[in-house]
Amino acid sequence: MSGIWQKTYQWIDERVQLGNLVEFMGKKYVPLHRGSIWYYFGGVSLFLFIIQVVTGILLLLYYKGGEELAFESIQFVMSRVAFGWLIRSIHSWAANLFILAAFIHMFSVFFEKAYRPPREITWVTGMMMFFLALGFGFSGYLLPWNELAFFATKVGTDIAGVIPLIGKPIMVFLRGGEEVTGATLTRFFGFHVAVLPGIFTVFLAVHLLLVQRQGMSVPLGHEEVHGPSEKAMPFFPNFLLRDLLLWLLVLNLLAILAVFFPWELGKKADAFAPAPAGIRPEWYFLFMFQTLKYFPGKIWFLDGELLGIGLFGVVALLWVMVPFWDRKSALGKRNRLLNYIGIAGVFYIIVFTILGWLL
Amino acid sequence: MLRAADQCFVCHSALGDEASRLFSRDIHHLKGVPCAGCHGGDASSADMDRAMSTNAGFRGVPKGDDISARCAACHADSAAMARLGSGLPTNQFALLQSSVHGKSSTKGSERIVQCTTCHGAHGIVAPRERTSPVNPLNVVKTCTKCHGDPAYVRAYNPSLPVDQLGKYRTSVHGKRNAAGDVNVAECASCHGSHGILASTDVKSSVYPTNIPATCGRCHSDAAYMKEYRIPTDQYAKYSRSVHGIALLQRNDLGAPACNNCHGNHGATPPGVESISKVCGTCHALNADLFAVSPHKKVFDERRLPECETCHGNHEIVAATEKLLGVSPEAVCSRCHNAQESPAAYGVAMHMRRLTDSLDAAEARAKELVEDAEQKGMEIGEAKYKLRDVRQSRLQARTMVHSLNEDQFGRTVGKGIATATWVAGEAQQAIDEFFFRRRGLGIATLIMTLLASSLYLFIRRLERAQQRGRTASSNSPIS
Repeated sequence: MSGIWQKTYQWIDERVQLGNLVEFMGKKYVPLHRGSIWYYFGGVSLFLFIIQVVTGILLLLYYKGGEELAFESIQFVMSRVAFGWLIRSIHSWAANLFILAAFIHMFSVFFEKAYRPPREITWVTGMMMFFLALGFGFSGYLLPWNELAFFATKVGTDIAGVIPLIGKPIMVFLRGGEEVTGATLTRFFGFHVAVLPGIFTVFLAVHLLLVQRQGMSVPLGHEEVHGPSEKAMPFFPNFLLRDLLLWLLVLNLLAILAVFFPWELGKKADAFAPAPAGIRPEWYFLFMFQTLKYFPGKIWFLDGELLGIGLFGVVALLWVMVPFWDRKSALGKRNRLLNYIGIAGVFYIIVFTILGWLL
Repeated sequence: MLRAADQCFVCHSALGDEASRLFSRDIHHLKGVPCAGCHGGDASSADMDRAMSTNAGFRGVPKGDDISARCAACHADSAAMARLGSGLPTNQFALLQSSVHGKSSTKGSERIVQCTTCHGAHGIVAPRERTSPVNPLNVVKTCTKCHGDPAYVRAYNPSLPVDQLGKYRTSVHGKRNAAGDVNVAECASCHGSHGILASTDVKSSVYPTNIPATCGRCHSDAAYMKEYRIPTDQYAKYSRSVHGIALLQRNDLGAPACNNCHGNHGATPPGVESISKVCGTCHALNADLFAVSPHKKVFDERRLPECETCHGNHEIVAATEKLLGVSPEAVCSRCHNAQESPAAYGVAMHMRRLTDSLDAAEARAKELVEDAEQKGMEIGEAKYKLRDVRQSRLQARTMVHSLNEDQFGRTVGKGIATATWVAGEAQQAIDEFFFRRRGLGIATLIMTLLASSLYLFIRRLERAQQRGRTASSNSPIS
């Protein structure tokens, strides 16, 4: 290390004991096996989240909340602010890729059974972040205050209102009144830039800390690795450099998407205009939206839509709690049934998303 | 046989009462319908008590809706009408019931109009007879009995005017009718007779979209109009006009029908002086500008119909820039030429050049905005401003009527300036589109270089690590 770098390192080391961290990182190994590629999706999700934070902060410099200003301010960002179009398009595209990466990361962890003890909390915090990411998507979608977002939010919050007893108060709380208005926009803006990021940061910190402390999970049938070997790769610098390489490619992909498919702004929301054709939620809610459409109005004496929402709630709860009831995987045995259920789940999500898109 | 047995008529005639006097020439009496046909009773009995006994079905003077019901007993029965040798239609009663008169009622119990209201009771004669209240020469008076009475009409429809007869008498139709012409339009010609509907009813013959066809029934019939020696192509021309297309094809009730220019009850062709006032009721700004233009004085002096001179009358087509200027299709060149009126000719030429420039600027701005939009660029503000250009174009078309070159030039200039701004914004967006692609190319190149370097660095690093591990595993110490 050259003189100046060495001095800087020493200066920091004297104050924060950097040596311990470097020593810890140096001893950290990433297992190598046929499923090692899935390890990268956690990093990609993290990178996309960082992009969201950075581009989000830049957008905040120009975004103006409120019914009369929101749409115009985004229009200003897109047409007048230097590279505003790039920041806004990257923010929108990265949001979608972030949720896609999170989906892949979640299912890879599920199929590799990486949630087995002692990583239950890592799974639960990850799931919490996934739900928060959906919340980010739902709240952020309304912020440009365009026609599609306005009506999609109306439909989305209407669904929440179906839940007995607590549904109506939740809907009124989300909307800031009975209808989707400027009050809803202010509220969603608050959720999007303050409430959700605050909670997300806590879960992210716990999640990353646990990943670092516990190391990467090794799939069933593979041996744990603790030192240099043919079946492991040093986390630092090998894995981190590969992560960086992938991040560079993702960044390039984002730039290509932003230039070739700039995120459209659409028409300004008008509460008195009739709902335009083709109102549908963002693609990550489509499979649920499409499923609810297939539910009949009444099933026996129960409201069909309510039953659908209840069913999704139960499935989500079971999904979050999987480390606690999948005893077979916890004991180091293969749980083929759970794998089949997972494959059916992926297949169902893909098919219903396509159906939702086409119909 | 019937007449011989009509003892009611025999006695009442002997008494000399008014009803039997009138009935003696009533068409029903002449056709053999006895008094009992409407009043009931035994017409064959000379005994008054027996003839007028309720047991014999005597009902006296019919009241309220029973009046029309009595008429309908025969007039709605085709077999009965055939027996009496009548070829009259048998749907009058049904039509009356569905008409505005049949639907309105007094005290909620009876219709406001019964058959006798218009036809009378005992002295009914065929409508072609001069004495019939529904004869074309009398029908206006018959309708006016109610429709000219403000107190009566107010009770049913306070917004309905009661001055129709007065207006009618000033119309060409009314004057000819008063002179004994039975062929000109009277109330029933346009409104119908038994099945009259409110003018707000889309099925009414005087509903705005039906008026041109109603007028056209007579005015488009060359044989019918022969003696009046007026054209019969108005309906055909109107149907092709901007007004006709708006009203008849797009059902735009704001567009004028025949009556909006000619009047309805007081229908008459607008005179030379009043044409601009008639058109000006809708095209107010154009009329105002024309009134202070240099053309006004000349048109008045030469007794030229103002708007009609350039735009025509029934076949008014959408006014475009083509009307302006000195080209063969332009209207200015009909009066102005380079030799006799060089100044006006020059103004016409210049105004056309200005409006062509505005058109070209607007077309270019529109094309660039579409191009930028197609390239996915955010161009909302410029697109919105395109409306202002269109607005300037419309204002310029209106301003033509002032024939004021400076005023016109200012309006066009404003439009051209806006169009130039829009085109500039759109061009900037298109340039930005290509700048983004170039920028992406450079950024991709840099990122590819970085990624490749990183990849090579990782390979070199891992090979070194591999060599290190091999060396340590081969070392005798290990």
